Amino acid sequence: MSSGFVHLHTHSNFSFMDGACPLEAMVTRAAELGMPALALTDHQGLSGAIRFYQACKKADIAPVLGVEVVVETAGLLGEEADLPPDSRLILPARVGFGRASAVGFHLTLLAKDFAGYRNLCRLLSRAHLRGPDIDSVVSLTDLAHFSEGVIGLSGCGNGEAARALAAGRPGRARTALQRLSSCFAPGDFYVELVHPMTADGPRLVAGLVKAAEDLALPVVATNNVHYLRAKDMRLHDVLASAGARMSLPGPYDRPNAELYLKSPTEMRQLFEGCDRACDATLEIAARCRMELPLGEFHFPSADVPLGETPYSVLAKEAWRGLERRYAPMTPEAIRRLQHELALIDQMGFPEYFLVVKEIVDFAKRSGIRFSGRGSAGDSIVSYALGITDADPIRHDLLFERFLNPERRQMPDIDVDFDSARRDEVIDFIYKRFGHEHVAMVATVQTTTARSAVRVAARSFGMPIKEVNSLSRHLPWVSARRIREVLESYPECRDHPLKNPKYAQVLEIAEQFDATPTHLGTHLGGFIITKEPIASWTPLQWAAKGVVVSQYDKDDVEALGLVKMDILGLRMHSAISTAVELARARVGEAAVPEPFELTPDDPVVYDMVARADTVGMFQLESSGQRNLSTRLKSSRFEDIIAQISLFRPGPLEAEMITPFIRRRHGIEPVTVPHEAMRDCLKDTYGVIVYQEQVLLVSKAVAGFTLAEADSLRRAMTKGRSREEMERIRGHFLERSLARGVDSEVAAEVFRQLEGFAAYGFNKAHAACFAVVSYASAWLRTYFPAEFAAAILNHEPMGFYSSRLIVNDARRHGITIYAPHVNASEARYTVEDDGRAIRVGLKDVHAMTTRLLDTIPREREVRPFRDLADFLRRTRAESPACESLIRIGALDGLGITEEGRPPTRDEQLVLLPELKAVLAREGVAGDDTLCLAPAPTRAPEDATHPSGWSPVRRLSAELELVGLSLTDHPLALATEDLEARGVTWAAKLRDLPDRSKVRVVGVRERAQTPRTRSGKRTCFLTLEDPTGLLDAVVFEDVLNRVGDVIVKHRAYLIDGTLQNNPERGLAIVADNVQPYVVRTSAGTPVRMRRGVASGPMGPALGGAGAPEEASWEDAETYMTEASGFSVAVDESASYKRGTSRPAKS
Amino acid sequence: MGRNTAIKRYDTSPSGQPIELFETKHARLPVVMELLRSPWIVRASDLVSADGTSATKRAEQSVAVSWDAERQYPTSFTRGNLRYRIDAVVQIWATDRAWWDPRQRVSRRYWRVLARGGVYDLAYDRETREWVLVGIQD
Repeated sequence: MSSGFVHLHTHSNFSFMDGACPLEAMVTRAAELGMPALALTDHQGLSGAIRFYQACKKADIAPVLGVEVVVETAGLLGEEADLPPDSRLILPARVGFGRASAVGFHLTLLAKDFAGYRNLCRLLSRAHLRGPDIDSVVSLTDLAHFSEGVIGLSGCGNGEAARALAAGRPGRARTALQRLSSCFAPGDFYVELVHPMTADGPRLVAGLVKAAEDLALPVVATNNVHYLRAKDMRLHDVLASAGARMSLPGPYDRPNAELYLKSPTEMRQLFEGCDRACDATLEIAARCRMELPLGEFHFPSADVPLGETPYSVLAKEAWRGLERRYAPMTPEAIRRLQHELALIDQMGFPEYFLVVKEIVDFAKRSGIRFSGRGSAGDSIVSYALGITDADPIRHDLLFERFLNPERRQMPDIDVDFDSARRDEVIDFIYKRFGHEHVAMVATVQTTTARSAVRVAARSFGMPIKEVNSLSRHLPWVSARRIREVLESYPECRDHPLKNPKYAQVLEIAEQFDATPTHLGTHLGGFIITKEPIASWTPLQWAAKGVVVSQYDKDDVEALGLVKMDILGLRMHSAISTAVELARARVGEAAVPEPFELTPDDPVVYDMVARADTVGMFQLESSGQRNLSTRLKSSRFEDIIAQISLFRPGPLEAEMITPFIRRRHGIEPVTVPHEAMRDCLKDTYGVIVYQEQVLLVSKAVAGFTLAEADSLRRAMTKGRSREEMERIRGHFLERSLARGVDSEVAAEVFRQLEGFAAYGFNKAHAACFAVVSYASAWLRTYFPAEFAAAILNHEPMGFYSSRLIVNDARRHGITIYAPHVNASEARYTVEDDGRAIRVGLKDVHAMTTRLLDTIPREREVRPFRDLADFLRRTRAESPACESLIRIGALDGLGITEEGRPPTRDEQLVLLPELKAVLAREGVAGDDTLCLAPAPTRAPEDATHPSGWSPVRRLSAELELVGLSLTDHPLALATEDLEARGVTWAAKLRDLPDRSKVRVVGVRERAQTPRTRSGKRTCFLTLEDPTGLLDAVVFEDVLNRVGDVIVKHRAYLIDGTLQNNPERGLAIVADNVQPYVVRTSAGTPVRMRRGVASGPMGPALGGAGAPEEASWEDAETYMTEASGFSVAVDESASYKRGTSRPAKS
Repeated sequence: MGRNTAIKRYDTSPSGQPIELFETKHARLPVVMELLRSPWIVRASDLVSADGTSATKRAEQSVAVSWDAERQYPTSFTRGNLRYRIDAVVQIWATDRAWWDPRQRVSRRYWRVLARGGVYDLAYDRETREWVLVGIQD
């Protein structure tokens, strides 16, 4: 018939660890080989289907969407397991990934049309959702039920028929084929022939042809493609092995490299003498001409009363909301609302707005804090409906930036909810729209340099320790850059991957660039549909136990489905908790709702301008603190600008410097055209916001806002030189027509062009600024409550709990250690807002049971001593040991010497008391009579713990991750001052360009992208007096990069930068490690040493060994000039005093 | 001549068959090929005896092969002093195993060929870039 061929059985890397074909490359190769069509049949899912469809359309070949499923046994009646072992066929290895995997025979399915596609989605969803821990196997009943529009191929060598023939049972193969074919419409089932190029391959093919002839079924040839070219077989082997957690050759042990995308000639040669099998591929491809309805929108159904339309309901709600928001209503607000409502109706989006409103209304009713963000803030409808809180008229926010009538695209309203109560919102969504209409959006997890090295190393059977050592210290870059990174990054100077024995690992790893490895779950993206969702997208169980779509957000958007981002924001939780704690202390009326405050309090702005912003939403990072001191914010618009300016785009375009200079009058505010002056008045003539690009285009060239937004988009995304020239010509033409001088118009365009790509969405910044101001206000007036609230909701923000606690202490707040007679599970505020009591939740080895029991028992009566505590709480030994060591039982009980037992004595008593309790059930008071075994004499007789401050501090850092008594470097004050160290608090008083030596514990180290492409490391350090920032430029970084990575505390020599234009920072000349030791020579810990309690933070390097860095420090110190100091354990702190726990 | 034509052509009458089944060597070839490729015929050399041995003669012998680049087929090989002209290629298969282990790595492409009335397995070793005679089948 023809000489062509179409591959109908291919696995892309969306077969997750069993396919090494990148989708786009596969489509390109098929086009190169002259194939008119190409099918995609990944294992157990359609995750790559939408992007495959789009790639095929782009390459002008016909996409055939399909899947290779695991199907239940068809060749034998009854269960396979009921048969004697000799009668069973050996099942193929497990395929699919995670909870979508299964063991069983394979079957290839292709969608003929859109109905077929929908049936594939339903069939897969049925198979995957049978139960979270049940294999995803398609039943024959479901197959028959959902086979309309679907073509079936009998499967590769792992199909039941092929397996039966290979085992010498042609009868069974025939039965299987017969039963499988009966599930499909006549003519829709083919016997699939795969020639594996093995010695017995031809025999297998001939057997299948014979069986097909016997049953009058057509045959079709495929190559079960798993990689693009023969040489890629290695990648596939490695992926398959790592996916199955095995070492090479992996679960399939494939005999050769023949499963590649062969050319039509090669395939015809392979099936010489059976041309009809190759011809059938063309016939099938011709029958599968499916068009996905991309570009249409499918909204969920909103709650609309009888006789109303979605638009009428939306309009009524919006007008009501406008009355609430603007009292009195202004003509501008009325005009704006009319304009937006008309556009929303015209674009067909009223239902979408109503659905979002329903969700936020529920949150409001339930008292769940939320805030809308993103470009939705540009809409007065969102503002009137109560979805966003920033006034679009006051802040010059433009609706066309949100919804451009010239470009009909799905609106995207993002809403952040209190993360502690987000589950309530999710429950509401499921109840309101129904479980069959809601699913979470997937994310496709891909390899980075680290994961690629791990995948390769694991497949080579290396022990986990070796795997860890190979992936450790690799920066977060793409896999293809591994070699470059190893050559050029200082922290990789001695990286083990450079050893020639790992050459093969390296070679394989760098080829895994952005390879999808598995499906994850989007943080908060939900799809809501009118029709059952399984008819749009296949669903499966995610690892975290929720139902997730197999598509990611881009696929969902392409399909025109509504995705809602129900995101959790811990700052909302912290604000709610802080308000609750404050109201509990000073009364309900004394604490207004922070989101409803008029943002004009100079005390709050003063604190921001001093860069005293630890904990403040979006304003606390080291870059933002630096910007605070330069910007000196004094009004709400400044906060919006501050949030917008410290972003990669504005930073890259260096917008900050002219902004600051003009703000402080160092340089004049100039604009090329007078019409721009009004548009850019808030930003001193600098284009900072995307909205300003629209305003300037309108003012100078007379564009409509919709046209201006299209211009902005064209400038932003994938600009070609020709395209830019065309846009420029259009802009100049329109400007000239309005009488603008051609040179002026050209200059305006040059500025627009320069800034359009980097500008920030003002609406997004304005929505965030509302939250920022609320957090700043709470920090100003209720610092203890705010800090306690943050600590209760960690991990969040930029800093660790340790730094939040140290910062609170620097602001005069006393930090009380956890104590069984005072602490709750969470952090609480004491002493009328002047002290924070550390909660028990962060103590190592605490259990949730114990966290409930301790406060409950304490309400009956306080704990008297250790025995009383053990008897009433039945505390487990590890938790009790932690509590003793952290001082939570200090001061309880009395010894023969008439003083409370020391921590050492309690630790000795603990096993004895546990033994008595175990023996006697409930120990009586007589347990007190137990004489503790002799322990060493108290190190510090003035403290009930008997422990020296050094030892107490080490225990605090180890078990709670906090330095409760003082900063660890405060132990070495004398030594540091002798070395000429300047404390962070004093830096501000030194002149610009002073040479300084500073010390600090690393809080953050960032190496963001810079405009020049050079690497610069920004270090945020903390010393006992505060935070300091150091900049390590590339030349120094090349020298000291490994020191920064491997150590926690450093001495830095450098030049102080202290001027209003650039802010306060140290430009490092040298970085050396610094280690504080006890007199016994033990290094004092600088970070948490063990995992946290059941409710504590999981992040922050908890439990990471610090010893390695100590060893390195030793080496460094012997080889170079690192510093170490031994502190006297019996000495008290130079600064601050140790504070015994209040009992 | 078609594959089965040769079989159908000879006389099955009671008067008996000619001593020579095939008129020429070329007439014999399709029949042999059909038999060799038939899935329902198991060759004696493929049978494995109870003690695990096979009738196939296994050898690892370097041979010189002349190659038809256009058809991508071997045309003859020389074993000892004898040149074996390849009458037909019966089957091709490939093996790529243990690529990660230099000591066990095998990467070969095999040709089962008909030559001088026998069936031989030739392999091109992609590692050593040499031709090897790996088996004599029947």
